[in-house]
This record gives sequence, structure tokens and C-alpha cells, in this order.
Amino acid sequence: DSFLEVPPTGTLSKDQLTGLPGLEGSLIAAYAQLSALSQTHSGPSNWLIGSIRGGDANKGTDPGDGTEMIPIQRYEYVSTDQVAGNVYASYFDGVARANSVLSLLKEAQASVKDADKARISAEARFIRAHFYFQLKRNFNMVPYVDENIGVGNGIEKVKNDTDLWPKIEADFKAAYDVLPETSSSVGRANKWAAASYLAKTYLYQKKYAEAKALFDLIIANGKTTGGRKYALLPKYSDLYRVANDNNSESIFAVQATVKSGSGNNANGDLQLNFIQGVDPGTCCGFFQPSFEFVNSFRTDANGLPLLDNSYNAPANAVKTDMGIKSDQPFTLDAGPLDPRLDHSIGRRGIPFLDWGPHTGASMIRNQPNGGPYSPKKYIFTKAEKAAGLTETGGWGHQTYNAYNVTIIRFADVLLMAAEAEIEVGSLAKALEYTNMVRGRATNASDFVMLNGAPAANYKIGLYSSFPTKEYARAAVRFERRIELGMEGYRFYDLVRWGEDVEAINRYLKYDQVLLPGALGGAVYTANKALFPLPQSQIDLIGKDILKQNPGY
Amino acid sequence: QKSVSGKVSDSKGEGVPGASISVKGTTAGTISDAEGNYKINVPNAGGTLVISSIGYKTVEITLGNQTTVDVTLEDDAASLDEVVVTGYSVDKRRESTGAISTVKTRDLTTVPSASVEQQLQGRVAGLTVVTTSQPGSGSQIRVRGFGAFGGNAPLMIVDGFPVGDVNYLNPEDIESTTVLKDASAASIYGARAANGVIVYTTKKGKKNAKKLNVTYDGVFGFTDPGQGQKMMNPQDQAEWTWTALRNSGAPLTHPQYGSGATPIIPDYLKVGNRSGVVGTIDIEAERAKYNITGPTIGDYYQVIKANKAGTDWYKELTQTGTIQRHSLGFEGGGDASRFFVGLSLQDQQGILASQRAKRIAMRVNTEFDLFKNVRIGENIQLTFLQILGRQGGNNGLQSSQDENDILGAFRSPTIIPVRDEFGGWAGTTALGFGQGSNPVANQQAGKLNKNYNALASGNFYIEVDPIKDLTLRSSIGGTFNNFYGWGYGRPIYETLENKSVVWSYNESGGFRLGWTFTNTATYKKKFGAHGIDLLVGQEALNTGFGKDMRADGRAPFSGDPNYITISTLDIRNPATSVKDNGITFNSYFGRAIYSFKDRYIITGVIRRDGSSRFGQNNRYGVFPAVSAAWRLSDESFMKGLAWVTDLKVRGGYGTMGNSNNVAPANQFNLYEQNVGTSGYDINGTNGGIVGGFRQSRIGNPNAKWETSITKNIGIDGSFLKGKLDVILDLWQKDTKDLLYTLPITQTVGSATAPSVNVGTMVNKGIDIQVITRGKFGAEVGYEFDVTGSFLDNKITQIGGGLTYLLDVNPGFRGVNPIRNQLGYSLSSFYGYQVVGLFQTQEEVNEALKPTATPGAAIPTQTGAGLGRFRYADLNGDGTITADDRTYLGSPVAKFTGGLNFRLTYKNFDLLAYFYTSIGNKIYNISKRFTDFYPLFAGSAISERVKDSWTPENRDTNIPRFEQNDGFSTGSQSSSFYVEDGSYLRFQNLSIGYNFPTTLANKMKLSRLRVHAAVNNLLTVTKYGGLDPQVAGAADTNFGVDLGNFPMTRQVTFGLNVGF
Repeated sequence: DSFLEVPPTGTLSKDQLTGLPGLEGSLIAAYAQLSALSQTHSGPSNWLIGSIRGGDANKGTDPGDGTEMIPIQRYEYVSTDQVAGNVYASYFDGVARANSVLSLLKEAQASVKDADKARISAEARFIRAHFYFQLKRNFNMVPYVDENIGVGNGIEKVKNDTDLWPKIEADFKAAYDVLPETSSSVGRANKWAAASYLAKTYLYQKKYAEAKALFDLIIANGKTTGGRKYALLPKYSDLYRVANDNNSESIFAVQATVKSGSGNNANGDLQLNFIQGVDPGTCCGFFQPSFEFVNSFRTDANGLPLLDNSYNAPANAVKTDMGIKSDQPFTLDAGPLDPRLDHSIGRRGIPFLDWGPHTGASMIRNQPNGGPYSPKKYIFTKAEKAAGLTETGGWGHQTYNAYNVTIIRFADVLLMAAEAEIEVGSLAKALEYTNMVRGRATNASDFVMLNGAPAANYKIGLYSSFPTKEYARAAVRFERRIELGMEGYRFYDLVRWGEDVEAINRYLKYDQVLLPGALGGAVYTANKALFPLPQSQIDLIGKDILKQNPGY
Repeated sequence: QKSVSGKVSDSKGEGVPGASISVKGTTAGTISDAEGNYKINVPNAGGTLVISSIGYKTVEITLGNQTTVDVTLEDDAASLDEVVVTGYSVDKRRESTGAISTVKTRDLTTVPSASVEQQLQGRVAGLTVVTTSQPGSGSQIRVRGFGAFGGNAPLMIVDGFPVGDVNYLNPEDIESTTVLKDASAASIYGARAANGVIVYTTKKGKKNAKKLNVTYDGVFGFTDPGQGQKMMNPQDQAEWTWTALRNSGAPLTHPQYGSGATPIIPDYLKVGNRSGVVGTIDIEAERAKYNITGPTIGDYYQVIKANKAGTDWYKELTQTGTIQRHSLGFEGGGDASRFFVGLSLQDQQGILASQRAKRIAMRVNTEFDLFKNVRIGENIQLTFLQILGRQGGNNGLQSSQDENDILGAFRSPTIIPVRDEFGGWAGTTALGFGQGSNPVANQQAGKLNKNYNALASGNFYIEVDPIKDLTLRSSIGGTFNNFYGWGYGRPIYETLENKSVVWSYNESGGFRLGWTFTNTATYKKKFGAHGIDLLVGQEALNTGFGKDMRADGRAPFSGDPNYITISTLDIRNPATSVKDNGITFNSYFGRAIYSFKDRYIITGVIRRDGSSRFGQNNRYGVFPAVSAAWRLSDESFMKGLAWVTDLKVRGGYGTMGNSNNVAPANQFNLYEQNVGTSGYDINGTNGGIVGGFRQSRIGNPNAKWETSITKNIGIDGSFLKGKLDVILDLWQKDTKDLLYTLPITQTVGSATAPSVNVGTMVNKGIDIQVITRGKFGAEVGYEFDVTGSFLDNKITQIGGGLTYLLDVNPGFRGVNPIRNQLGYSLSSFYGYQVVGLFQTQEEVNEALKPTATPGAAIPTQTGAGLGRFRYADLNGDGTITADDRTYLGSPVAKFTGGLNFRLTYKNFDLLAYFYTSIGNKIYNISKRFTDFYPLFAGSAISERVKDSWTPENRDTNIPRFEQNDGFSTGSQSSSFYVEDGSYLRFQNLSIGYNFPTTLANKMKLSRLRVHAAVNNLLTVTKYGGLDPQVAGAADTNFGVDLGNFPMTRQVTFGLNVGF
């Protein structure tokens, strides 16, 4: 009887969403998951599972804070850990939201125009491919589910036996074919974002010819959704300013905003990575750059990096203030350094953006545990804070800001194109692309200044030539490390190059001497290139359906 | 004057010795002899005799001309002749066939507490209560175990209509409290009775009372916070910090203690941005720089002196609590009316500054006979309720698991003073002491937060007796609850981490209106030896519909609380609101009792309920129960056994339902719009979002009622002429179709999965109540009332092939202590079994071998090291893996019991009350903070650590104090944290003095009593934490002690006056 029919409140039913506004709204919800709802483990910056796992940094802060991240930095992750579980859940939430859009489209009302349907479908497929790309490189084999399967319809029984690459390619290809070049909604994926991601997908599969062909088109014709032709910004440091969101180099980025009423709409996955106790941010001192990574910014007399990895040799290692209190004297390293060091990493004596010089130990939460360095790339400036582009985070400190986290930027595309050129094109072209990226870093007007002079001995030069493929590979790979450091790329690059075991153990060996508490005894083995599938999913669905990755 | 004599007898005709006989309004009085005979001089004309004796109801007899007055006293106790109020009916316990317990109002008022339900602890066999000492704390009340994975609170009925909470009731207003435990008793409440039913009835007044009866009951008391845990003094903490560094091969350096072989205790912990300052400072120069108001972080400047004597943070945090309760009762009635008016005020100030609970209530109960066979009446209470500063979710019960101010007292190093040199708060902003906030500052700021709840609740009813023995009753009841509150977030500048430079502020309010409409017909008649009692009824209700609104923001120009409103905030978040349509139920029920000579009694109950919680397919559930009783003592073969006064055997079998553990929207597929979870700045504005819609819930239209099947066998026995009463029940409750949000594959996304009927659970137990009463000699009366309950709770099926509840896995800084798994009780503890500590390097080397040897004496173990935990290799595969985790104990007590001991001597009475909980374990996770160095290194260290492992101190179970926080130290759930939580508490000792009636009468009073009591006198336990009563967030998640509020000693004084 009707007395027992009590309607739910504050919610919508499916048939209220099949008109154009409902379909657009569900697409917005799919975009919203790009930020992973501020989850620190699975957020778009990949600071934990891309940068820390790649040796750019360690967890930092106090050992007792964020304990669930300790197995990540020590490569001791197991199937019951929280981090891999969160990552898996968060990415599949993105897949599910995209599938939800595509599923609603099948029931679209007659009033919805075909052109709108096609565009919405293509954007949803772009988002779905993005999340499957993330799943692929973190877990390899996961169940593939699309909009044609759901609860009560077999979704619980899908095995993880399908190669995801063709599915990802198909989605990006569909988006590339259908999406417009520009839109007034600058946060949308456009044709060229889909092309770039598709080319990246080819590169991950070592399909160099397909990749090169597409990169050629992108570099020649690509433009942002806002209509800017793809180009490097003149100043490297401008990449990290909120005012330059959606710049000519931003191919696809997660749109962050303050003042929405929820920190989830800001780049909340970074909220732990500010300076502990003082501005900027006051919390919580995570994501501390590694010694080995800092050393890699050492350049030679020509301003070129030490491709033979001799940067760790005692003569080359960058001088640190490890173990030195802030009120004790410290003299800066005087040797030649790539200027991008001081845009990427906060270190004692160097101006920390416009907050004044980094004071060393007093800006570090627990130096014996995390080392002397601070992250710098996603940190807001005093001016940005004053302009209201920051927001108070979950613990009552200002750690949300409106800086877009970039998924693909043009420098990344140029260096990927260089990789493809080395394999199937010309070394000269690879050299050209690499030097384009390096050239921007040589802009002296962008050097970090202190008392009217460059804050350190910045020395950077261009490559005169790539004599061999081997040399070119080493140079391009090193350039990716420096250019894209602390941006979540490193681990995945190492794995796809097959350099993970060697490079990560080199980093561990160096840093664990200095940070015995955090890293002592840690070893990287090849099976850690993949996360284990979450044990709770295997317990739920069954070992016969979900096959665990080797070594777990 | 003349002489009156007679005999005082009990209901069996036996003489009652030692009964007191007095003449009302005079000093005359005497005591009956060994046979119950007495003789007393009384005035010639009129007068009233008052006859009383412990264990019997007091009788007043108006004297006429007679000179012989024989008196029969009725038993007065939780004994077998009493009346039990079951909500829809009033039955005699003698005739009942179900498992029913009653609680005396006296027991509810002995110890003052914010909610009457807390006083049920230990008073009812088969009922467990776990609560906290916070004013206004909720309680985990469970009747006969835990039937389901959630929603196990009993149904509470006040004056016939169901309520959500009884914290508004004044215990002095309560006339009777009845607990219906098994299906045969509770099934009349059918679908909502699976967790038992607690029926409260408030005072009604008496018809023909003639006289207005006015009473005052007052109590006033103090609560002493007691002692905190023992934490290291500043010198010891510095030295043990060095020990930790040394044990880890780390350089001996610390922001406060300097660098070098021995730590240096600094003179100042912080001077501006300098830490660990040794020597003197220019205090006036520093004062000029002092800044604790910002406006930005860099501007803060504090000077914090080291408190070398050590701060006792628990002492600083706590204060003496107070409690007072004043109740006025007006009772009376005329020929065709009766009434009760209760006015009460209760004010409880907790041991923390911000914690307070206030209740002001007015109750008016009346009944009028409109005609000889028509009665109308009402029970209405208006209440103002305020519960302030309560910490923790689940109505405060979750506080034990939270990083709250109680834990804060044990995280703050003793060297930190409460305040800085210039009056601001001191704290971990001085480097090297972890990151906790100043708990004293938190409490002081918490005093600004307020809330106001106004409740009106009650019912109107009409009763008609159309023919003799048939009564028709119709009642409409409701609760209107209006609530409003606000809270401030203070600028926190004294901590390392939590710095927030501006005030934040929120306001919220709303209302709920619930109603219940009940219609019943009862027919009760005796046909010779045959007795028939019939009840049929219908009930419709809505649990409460209404709306909530909330707004918040931050950064007002001024921190003046009088300035701050939502309008004066510089940054305002969008206001939010929630609409709630409530949950509806519609029910039909009937009960039939047939009895033959009162010797054979059979009862049948059936109820059919429908609820809006379920979809059309399974909306209704039918819940029948049958029970029977056989009065053995009436049989001829028992006549010879003189010591058996009354003996009844009862048995019952029946089903009850439960729908509490399913979301009202469970049947629907839903989408939601939410700023945080579905909005996105698609236009790249950096200034706001476009809204979106995401799937928020997957529906299950087929969910149905949980059903519990109860079996109960019991005896009600009265022996030795009523000197000994025994009530014993053996019971088992099997719950099936348990509703559980069975996790679904994550490939579906994050929409909430629906509850499905999959699980089963078994609870079984024994409930015992033994009452013995009598006299020592002629003048000392005694009464022992012992209740005891044995309980065994076990999950027997989860569904979906699962062996444990995947979705309940609370984490405490990386330690996950709880697993609800098959074959064990709810909320069982789970982890590695510690078999000892690594004692030798050889053992360590063995454990660090990379290849495992199955069955190895020392299995391979990650992170093995000297003085670290050695875990048991339970599967014998030679290596410690996640598969070696196991059941470590349960927070569910195997036995709980209460002992009530009452002595009377002349006008004095003495009451002692003990409560015990045996066989429960506690997961003492607070040790993770106080006994291990690395978790927020620098925070306070427990004295226990002095007994930690060293090469010289190997015979200990406390691991080596070191920096490592690896697999083999404190970071894993292990048996190290599990402690025996059994305890015996001397909960109450009170002494009362009843002024002689004659003396009272001289003061124009009918009754005058004074009493004094000590509560929580003594607790015997092996538990190492603050207090062994530990609640939690939910039935699947409790017994974990992180910041438990302790039960501490309380002294009260009281006065009872009858005018």
C-alpha cells in the first residue's frame, strides 16, 4: 500500500538523466574522477606511485605519518596493502563513471542530437581509456568491463585475461576521430589530447612507427582545447603557476579549482606535500626529493648531464645540509647544476619560490627520516595565496590550490617523439626535440635568483650531436628524468625501458646509507614493477576469476 | 489511649518477624515478634497504622474501633507476583510464559547518569551495557547478544509508543521498566523485536488517592578524574630518546636535546624559530616580538619554557566534575481521574571542561473517566536537552577509538608546559615532540560550542470497555524534536601540523516529527478453571520525517564569539540541507493466552509487519511465537516439598524480525549530485565547478526482513517461603537472512552496494537471577539480588563465499586490529601471535634467511631484529606471511553480572552494587602511541618502556625501544596489543537514613530520607589502560582503546522528601 512507499530524498533516478543536461552532467562526474577525489594514493599527480616509486623522492615526513605508504617506498608492497587497493578502486571508479555515461547514452531521449551523442561518447571513451591506461601500467591484467556489462549481468565473473592495450587504443582512436579541436570548455579532452594519449599508448607498446607518425602530426598541428598552438612556455617555472593553467604546453590536465565548497575539486591529492609547520601550506612534509635525484642535476663543463651516472661519485654529489641545524652555518654547493634543480626541489639557502630562502632543517619535519629536501613543483606562491588561489584543507591548513595537475604536456610529447625518432626516424630529429626542451631551461631570465645573482652555479648546455642510438637513448631518457622530475613519470618510464631494477637499486643503495631508518635494507625486485591485485577483490571474486600477478 | 494487637503475615500466611509497626503522626512504634505478633498503644480516636518490612510492600491501615488488626503483607521485589508492563498489556509475572525481566526504579536512580539506560548495566540478566563516562554518552545496549552485523539496539517503548532514544527521560518519573527478552515475550512487537524490547512506563498517579502526594528527590555530587597513565618525566624521556637513536644506529641528535653522548635538557623549547635553547634569554625583548594572532603563519612568535619538573597533562586536562538532579513529583487522583506531574532538572559537568549534559523536563500524565466505561488520557513530556563537548561518533561511544583529548594527554611530552611564557598555548610547535595539539587548549575552545534540543513527546489515548472484560484502546503518539547547534574551530598555532590561522565556524539545525497510531482490543475472562486472555491490534508509524540545514565557513574578521555568525565569515562554503522522509511501518498483531487452573498456561503470538525499508516483493514479514508454562508447584506430587513455594517451568519458541540494518533507500538505483564527488571545473575557471551526476547507489528490491529464531527454556522458582527466588533461562537465538552490504566487484565503481540477505549468526546464553532476602537476627534485614549472563556470539555465515566482513577494517595508524570472521564473535581481534622477542643474533640471522624451510623452528620473518617481536608461524610454511594472522580474542564478554546487596537496620539502609565483566579482551592500541618511539617521534613515552628489551633485560614482553617501525615492531596488528579486559567494579556504595515517620511528620513531611553514595569505588582488573569499559564505533568495530574516557570515582549526596 502507498503508506509504505517512501520516496528517497536528494537523489535522482536513471530516467531523469537521459536528456542532454543529464548526459552532460554524468560526463562531468566522469571528469570529476580524474582528480581521484583528492585521494593521496591514486591522485593524478602520481606523486606516490610514480615519483616515489621511481626514486625521485621518498615518503618523507615522520615515519608514523602515512604509514601505509612505507611499503611503497621500500618496495615491500603486498596484496593486503591499502595503497594498491585504493589505486585499483579509484581507477575503476573512473572506468565505471565513463561506462555509466555510455550506458545512459544508449537510452538517450529522442531530443538529444546525434552530434552531441557522438561528442559525449568520445569524451567518455577518452576518460575510460585514461583510467585503463593507468590500470594497465600499474596492474597489467585487470578485468575489462565496458558499458554493456553491469550488476546482475555478469560483471562479477569477468576474468582478468584480456590484454587492455587494444581496448585502450580503440577508445583513444575513437576520441581522436570524433572530438573537435577546440571548445569553450577548456577542460575537455580534444582531438589532439586524444592523439597525444594514443601516441603515448603506442610508445608504451614499442609501436614506434605508429607513434612517430602521430607525433609528427601532433607537433605540426596540435592545439589546446582553448585554441593555443602547442608550444613550450618560454620559462620552465611558469608551468607551475596557476595563472598559466591550460597554457600552450598543457595537452591534457586535471582542472583544479578553489571556492567550489569541496577540496576534492582542488588538487587535493597533493595536500600532504607542503612544508610542515610553516608556510607555504604548513602540512605535512611528505614527498621529499631523494639525494640521488638531486645529484642527477649535476652537469659537466658543457652543461650536460652525467649520463654515465657518475653524478653519485663523492666528487660530484651535491652538497647537502643533512644533519645540520638551521642555526648552524651551511655553505651551498658551488658546482655546476642544471637550473631546473631549483625549480623542482626546495633546498637550503635557495629561495623557496617567493617565500624567502629555504631554511633547511627547520622546514623539514623529520630530517633523519626524510632527508633535507622539499618538493617545490606543486607548491603555491605567496602571491597565489594572496590572490585567493589556495584553500584550507582537511586539517585546517592551506594545502588546496587551483593548480592543474598535468597528465600530458608538450615537453613530454617532444621527448616521447624523440624516443620514437631514435628507433624509427632520425637521430637529428631526436636531437632537435631534446634540445628544444633543454633550450627552454637555458633561459637565464628564468634562473632562481638570490641577491640579484643566480642562486647557484647554473650551467646548462645543448647537445651538439647524438653520435649513436645508445647515446641518444641515454640522453633522452636522462632528459625525461630531469624535465619531468617529481611529476609522476619516472617509475613508469623506468619500467617500460627495462631499467627499473638497475636504476631503482642504484637509488636505494645511495639513499639508504643516508636514510637508514626509512630505506635501510630495502631492495627492488622485478616483480614489483606491477602492483598486486587487491587481496580483498580476489577474496570476493575468486582466485579462479582474478589471477594474481607473479610474486605475490 | 488503647491497645491494638494482631499478627503480621505474608501471602502464605506465615508470620513476618521484625516488621515495623508505627502510628502515623506519632512517636509510637514497635516491632513484630518471631511469630509476627505485635502489640501497640494507639490514640483512642482514629489514627493510622503503618506496617513495613523489608521485601514487602508497606501497608497503611486506618484504625476504627477495632483492637485486633491482622495484616497480610504483599511481596515487594523483582519477584514472581509482580506486574509486568509489556507495552500493549499489563500481565502478572506469575502467569507469563516468556523471558521477562524488570528493573526497580530505585535501581535506576541510585547512580545519577545522563541517560537512564546506563543504569541497566548488570541489573538485567541477559542484557549488556557498554558506555562511556562522558556526560550524555550513548550506550551499547544489547539484549541477548548481537543478532546482526548492525542495528542491534533493542526497541525502546515509552508509555506504549516506540522512541529512538530515552535520554530525555527523568528516572524519577519512571514507574516500571520491563525487558522482554525472548520471542514469546517480545514477538508482540514482531518485526522490530529481534533485539529485545525495553518497555518504560512513567508514573500515572492513583485514582481515589484523595491526597495530593508531593515528592522532592535531589542528588548532588562530585566526580574525581583520578590518575592518568604514568608517563616519563622530561629527563627520562630525553634519555630514552637517546636510547632509541642508539638502538637504531642513528646519530645522537635532536632539535631539543642537542647532539652528543648525553642529551641536554634545554631551558627553552622554543624561542621564535629556535628550538632547544640552552641558557637565558632577554625576556622583555622576546615579549616585544611575541605574536600568537598571525595574521599569517610566518608572523607567529612564541617563547616556550621547558617544564623541567614535568607537566601532568592528564591532571591539567581534567577537572572535578559535578552532577545535580532535582525532581519534583505531584501525584494524585479523584474519583474519576488520576494524574502525575514531574518537573526535573539535571546538570552534569564532566571531567573535561567542554563536556556537559543538561536536561530540563516537564512531564504531565493524566487520565480521566469520561463515563464509567470510557477513559481518556495522555502522557506528555516537554524536554530541553543539551549535550555539549561529547567526543566520538556513535553518540560518544566511538570516543574510545579516537585520537581525542584523552589520548592527547598521553601524547604530550611532560616537558611541554601548558602555556607559553606570555600566556598563549604551548605545544608541539616546539620541534621534536611529534605533532599533537594541546588538549587543554582544545577543551577550553570547546566550551564555545553549543547545541539546543527541544523535544515534545507523548501520546493521547482513549479506552472503552463496551462490554465487561473487553477493552478497546486507541492511541496516537509522537515526538517532535527541534535541534540547533553551532561550533567554532579555533586558530591552532601551538602544534607542528595543525596550524590553521583563522577561526572556522558552523551552524546547523533541523527538526524531526515522528508519530505512531495504535489500536488494540483486549479480552480477558475466567471461565471456572479456564482463563482466556486475547489481544489484537494494528499499528502504523513513521519514525520521523524532517529536514536539516547546515552552513559553515571561516576567516571572520574578529575571533570574538559574539561577532562570529555565518554572515560575518569572510569565506563561506555553500550551505547544505538534507531532507528525510522517515521510515514507515504498518503492523497487525494478536496474542492469545489460555490457562487452566493457573497451572498450565499456553501463549501464542503472531505479528505481521510491513516496512518502507523493503521493496514491494518482500515488504511484509510474519513473525509467530508460541510458549507454554507449567506450574509444577501446584501439582499434587510437589505438595510434599514444603521448601518449594512456587515453581514454574517455561518454554518458548518463536521468530522475531529486524530491519534496522538496511538503508531506507536500499531498494532504489540512485544517482546523486555532489559538489565534492561529482562536480568538475570543466571550464577551467579556477573559481567554481559545473555540477555532475554520478551513480550513488545500486538497488536491491528483493531485500527482506532479518529473522531471528529464539528458543528459551526457563524456570521461575520461589523457595523457602519467598526467601529465595530463582529465575533461570537457557536460550539460543539463531539469526538468519542477515542483511549485509555484500561488497561488489570494484569494476562497478564506487556506487554503494545494496544490502542483501546473506548471513547467519548464533547467540546462546544463560540468564540467571537469584534473589534472597531475610533477616539477620531481629533487626537487620538483607537482600541479595544477583544477576548473571553467559553469552556466546558467533558468526556462522557471511554469504558470497566470504569468510570475513571485507568492509569492516578500521585502521589505527597502520594497525588493523579487527576482523569479523566466520566462527568467531563480532569485532574479534585479528593479527599475528607474538611468541616472544628475538633474544639472540643467531635467532635474528635465522629469521632473516631469504629462503623458507617449512617447519623451521625460527621461521623467516621480514624485519627481524634483536628485541623485536617473533611471530608464530601458524601454517608452518617456514615464513611469516599474512596467512599467519589469526584470531586474537573478542571484546564480547563471556559473562557479565551484577550483585546488589542491601542491608537495613532500623532506619538505616546500606546498598552495595558490584558489576563484573569477564572474558572480554581489549585491544590497547594507545600503546602504539606511548610505547613505540617512531610513531610521531618525540611524543610522550610511557613509563612501561623502562621495562623494554635490552641485552640486560631480556625477560620482558615489551620490545626494544628503537626508531624502526617495520613489520616486526609495532606497525602490525599483533597479540602484543591484546589485553585481558575482565574486571570487577564496586560501582556503588550508598548509605541512607530514613527519618522516623514521627519526626518527619513533626516537620509536616510524610517522608524524609537522606543518603550519600560513592560510585566507581574500586575496579579490579589486569587491564593496563585507563579503564576496562571500552565501547566503539559499531557492533562490528568495538573494544579498541585509543582514547577511552575513564569511569572515575564519584561522591553524591541526596535528599528525598515527601510532603
